[in-house]
Amino acid sequence: MIILKTLLLLVFTITPSYADDVLSQIAVHLVKADITLGDFQQEKHLKVLRKPLLSTGTFIYHQQKGVIWQTLSPVPSLLLVNDTKLLTSEGELAVPAAFGQVFKAMLGGDFKQLAEGFSMAGGGQKSAWHLELIPNDALLKKLISAMVLAGDTELRSLEIQEAGGNTTRITFTHISHPTLLPPGQEANFERLSP
Amino acid sequence: MNVYHPKITAWVWLLGIVIIAALGSQALRSDWLETGFLALLPTSEQKPEVANAIKQHNEAMARKVIWLSGAGNAKAAIANARVLKRQLQDSGLFKRLDLEFSAQSYRDNYQQLFPYRYQLLDAQTKQALAKPQDLLSQNLAMLYSPLGQMQAAGLERDPLFVFSRYFNAQNSVKLAMEEGIVILRDGATFWALLLADLEDGSNKLDKLETLQALVDSAQKQAQTAGRELMVSGMALFTAAGSQSANREMSTVGLGSSIGILLLMLLTFRSPRPLLLSFLAIGCGMFSALVLSVLFFGKIHIITLVFGASLIGVADDYAVHFFCDSFGSKDWNPRQGLRYILPGLFIGLLTNLLSYAGLGFSPFPGLQEVAFFSAIGLLFAWLTVVMLFPVLLTGFKPEHEPKILKLTAYWQYHWPLWVFKWQPWLIAGMAVFIVGGIAQLTPRDDVRLLQSAPVDLVKTADKIKQLLPLSQDNQFFLVTGNGQNDWHDHEQQLLAQLASLKQQNALKYYQGISDYWPTEHSQQENYRLLKQIFYSSGLLQEYMAGLGFSKAAIGAELKQFVAAENLSLSLTSWLKSADETRQHLWLGCKDGHCLSRVSLTGIHDLPAIAQLQTLPGVSLVDPAQDISVLFERYRLRASYLLVGAYIVVFMGLGLRFGWRNGLAIISVPVLAALSALAMMGWFNQLFSLFNLFALLLVLGIGIDDAVFFFMAGNKRASTSLAVTLSALTTLLAFGLLAISSTQIVHAFGFTISVGILTALLCAPLIGFRGYKNYYDNQSNQ
Repeated sequence: MIILKTLLLLVFTITPSYADDVLSQIAVHLVKADITLGDFQQEKHLKVLRKPLLSTGTFIYHQQKGVIWQTLSPVPSLLLVNDTKLLTSEGELAVPAAFGQVFKAMLGGDFKQLAEGFSMAGGGQKSAWHLELIPNDALLKKLISAMVLAGDTELRSLEIQEAGGNTTRITFTHISHPTLLPPGQEANFERLSP
Repeated sequence: MNVYHPKITAWVWLLGIVIIAALGSQALRSDWLETGFLALLPTSEQKPEVANAIKQHNEAMARKVIWLSGAGNAKAAIANARVLKRQLQDSGLFKRLDLEFSAQSYRDNYQQLFPYRYQLLDAQTKQALAKPQDLLSQNLAMLYSPLGQMQAAGLERDPLFVFSRYFNAQNSVKLAMEEGIVILRDGATFWALLLADLEDGSNKLDKLETLQALVDSAQKQAQTAGRELMVSGMALFTAAGSQSANREMSTVGLGSSIGILLLMLLTFRSPRPLLLSFLAIGCGMFSALVLSVLFFGKIHIITLVFGASLIGVADDYAVHFFCDSFGSKDWNPRQGLRYILPGLFIGLLTNLLSYAGLGFSPFPGLQEVAFFSAIGLLFAWLTVVMLFPVLLTGFKPEHEPKILKLTAYWQYHWPLWVFKWQPWLIAGMAVFIVGGIAQLTPRDDVRLLQSAPVDLVKTADKIKQLLPLSQDNQFFLVTGNGQNDWHDHEQQLLAQLASLKQQNALKYYQGISDYWPTEHSQQENYRLLKQIFYSSGLLQEYMAGLGFSKAAIGAELKQFVAAENLSLSLTSWLKSADETRQHLWLGCKDGHCLSRVSLTGIHDLPAIAQLQTLPGVSLVDPAQDISVLFERYRLRASYLLVGAYIVVFMGLGLRFGWRNGLAIISVPVLAALSALAMMGWFNQLFSLFNLFALLLVLGIGIDDAVFFFMAGNKRASTSLAVTLSALTTLLAFGLLAISSTQIVHAFGFTISVGILTALLCAPLIGFRGYKNYYDNQSNQ
């Protein structure tokens, strides 16, 4: 609790110019590419469960087209996201478009987009940085207290801290930047286009 | 005639008008004007529950005003919307303003329904229960998804996510929100949504003006600040309509008043005829209004509009009287009256006969028009006959107006020319009439009544596209004997609508049976959950697999057992629902239950209308219903119109002989046929309203013809009277032809053609006899 409080204090005392500074520093380090793909390991800690929910899968980020999030184990599922749509195997999900925008912006390191909805604070050196995002929207704040991104030249991990105490930590590995989409994925993005 | 004392009759008239004024001061104090279209339906056809449902729906729709405040980012849009909301609040026009949608009511709703979670299943979940393993893997997929925060948070209370599924199905339309405010995105523009409900659903004119002024000033403010604002609502359409009608009416009214004023003053060089004309018309209209309200309780606005057109006929009597003064050298009002009374009497009688026909129709609208018109004519006529002899004492124009010379010349030479070319003219007329009527196509669409400004329609369409929530005008009514029966019927309808929605026949529909299962199905739902999960061990296995503690599993089982006998009544469900949904339920009366199913974004109305074959289901389409009503009125009025012409012909035939009767009736018949033909040639709107115009043409045509028929050697002054009254009527109603509202335009057009034709035909009546007399005079 004390750590959280100091963290919050830190966030609120940070001046915007400093935050901008950190952002531009991080942005300089990040590899800029249209396509990013890799594996993910997700660890969800729910208060009511005695053990974390572990899952793994692959992701593909395309700057214009959106994100394909494919969970492979333990339960295979597919999530397609772009700025306006959110598709699951169940069909289109009735989730505000902002979710998709944030999700895509986080994976793509699009800080400009994130700055619209979150207060940001962070720090680090050339080799490693971290960035904390606090939602501005009062309603969203009731659900998510903070998100922490960390990485070097790539985004390496993402942690979502929920107001209720649950946390989700996603780590990314085997990140690469091909110039073309892997075969078959074009069709998945096609489903997102209106 | 010795019993006739002008002063006594004038006193009798005065007494009568005082009595009517006294009655009027009572009757007109109440709410006497009816504006609803349903009041025009024959009483037997109007099911009260349907009428109520439509009324309620229309009122709710009429109240809604949607405001969208736009800016380059959501923050600015929200800030602007907040300022706007304060302005609207200060105006006092609105009963309700929704900008922030509180999360509290959402949570309250969740908590109210949560105890019944084992009883409430949505249709999709119920289907999914057939394959419980699939449902469980869906749950896992949800939990493992990077976006499953909301669901995961509720895992403890609702481990199967059954209630969250039901609750999400209840709130299936989700809009992006920021700070509790709905934000719609359209390219680079963010729109903040502000929903307003007008205080007054009846759209009173002064309130509409205030609203319009408010919209205009808000729009101007937004413009100067470089922001955007979109406003839409039925009230704005009504406001625009009444504004343009007002503008037109005042232009037409001013133009025709000046015209009539000049015409009367130039002809008589005295204000007396003008003032007396207004008096006669005014007394006629006022008595008609008072007696109609006393007789019917309320009169419809349409009656008033078409009743007012009677001015054209009522004016004939007065003008005829004045013009007679030019007819002889030593004219006095008593003599004049003695001379014109037979003509006036026959004119009145034929007019009354033609309106009486309408009274025998089962349509309340036509009955009212008939009664109103008959009373109005009678009192205008009585004023002329009883009062004018006294008030015209000493009236004797010394001059010979230019127009009299003109009409005197015309009434002689025009018939000469016509009779010379008779065969050719008859052939030409026949081609013109047959050709025109062949092209006549009736159009009864009520939407033609309104001509909405283009930018209003554009805004409304844009908003509809951004916010696919606003209900369409059409809706379904579902009935049943008792709640279970009703529920079955509505569920059948909703199932069909679901598949139509998949085929894109509509965007969205809403019926409460999707949210509230009957008590019987609630028990069934509970039994299903028990059988599949709670007593089969599947739930324990699933929860243990996820990592729940034994205690948590035990608690869940205990809660399930404790909830066994719970049931949620419709009344309790309604209490938890929002206003829009509460309005869908119309209640049960004598075991007969009724609900509404709202429709949004209809693309394929015919496909939707086919669902009416389902039991207890009927589609209500107010605009279509009124169009159908107009069509039936039009057909009925056509028969009555033909009937009226026949009755008048019979009367004339009995009085003047069949040959003469035929000659007289041919004037209005030709006038009416020409009007119809012109409508055909010029592709004018032909609907019920043109028929009212034709009825008027009958009245005026008959007057013109009868006056000429009985004119004898006074044809010069008669032709002046006929021309003057035709010109005044043209000024009063013909000018309506310039209106941009199609229906008003069509009314003016019909009257203009009809009156002009009657004016051209009337001098042919009685001309041969006059010519013999005239020739003899010249020979001597």
